[in-house]
Amino acid sequence: MKIASQDTGKSRRARRTEPVILFSVAHQTFAISADSVQEIRSTDSIAGAANEIERPFMAKVRHTLDRAHRKYYVVNACAHFNLPVTRPTLVLILRQLRVAVLVDKIERMAEINAVHPLPRAFIGEERRWYRGLAYVEDHVVPVVEPTGFLTREEFLALDRTTKAAESQREMEGAVPA
Amino acid sequence: MIAVENSDPNSFVLLQVGERRFALPSEIVVELAPPVRLHTFPHTSALVAGVIVRRGQIVPVYDVAPTLLGKDSPAHRFYLIAQRTFEKSMEASAIPLNGECELASAEVQPPAEGRPDYISGTLEIGEETVELLNFEALVTHQSAESRNPSHAGVQS
Repeated sequence: MKIASQDTGKSRRARRTEPVILFSVAHQTFAISADSVQEIRSTDSIAGAANEIERPFMAKVRHTLDRAHRKYYVVNACAHFNLPVTRPTLVLILRQLRVAVLVDKIERMAEINAVHPLPRAFIGEERRWYRGLAYVEDHVVPVVEPTGFLTREEFLALDRTTKAAESQREMEGAVPA
Repeated sequence: MIAVENSDPNSFVLLQVGERRFALPSEIVVELAPPVRLHTFPHTSALVAGVIVRRGQIVPVYDVAPTLLGKDSPAHRFYLIAQRTFEKSMEASAIPLNGECELASAEVQPPAEGRPDYISGTLEIGEETVELLNFEALVTHQSAESRNPSHAGVQS
């Protein structure tokens, strides 16, 4: 007896879900697509690879992280979302973007059925911060837009500053004693 | 919950915000909803307190009490759901209320001189004069308080 047709019907009805990581910052819960996160590390474990930006001009970016010959900018999620400052313990290293995000903790993984557009009542920076909103059990959680952590202009400004600082250090190192 | 179906242009919903009553055209009012859970998250949009879920839809909540009363209102008992018109579509929007609503018919009189742009007229309801709200102007009104940068991103 063939029962494939029943399975097909079921699979048609089955909703496509997206795995997300639920993380928290200053007691606020956010979701981020699991596909957009390459690695999660503790802040202690990356201390050796992190460098302080000499003259930080952006409150949310004070460190860089050297990984696989690439320079990542470390964005403090508290400062990014204008939340009260906490002591982050984890770093989300993003995939395909030179961004690492300081967060307080990972709550858990979850599956979401859909990302609902942010209502048009929201007209501020949050339109750049979030892909939209998702239901996670009985909560409505903002789904973070990974490209929203740093704009193209912010990347360019950070690249200029860090390159200038590196050149300065090289020149100082080249001066004969 | 009260579903409003009256689209008479002289028909208004009287709503209680704090100690005062205001009116909205009944044609934009969808329903009076119970005080469901308010979901909040960081944002920088003035007057928006968060979102509620109503009939499977995510509905933004505007905290209009500071604009209308100059202070926060006491505990909310209901949400009034009204339609806000955007260019080509509508969006259900909620405002917290302190009491039940009432349907009333009256002729609209001009607003008193010097009233803010979100007051579009007045209604004589019995002995009471009730100010008629322009919902769009109200929810986009930038009060001095909401322009304060210290409010940005703070949860209500």
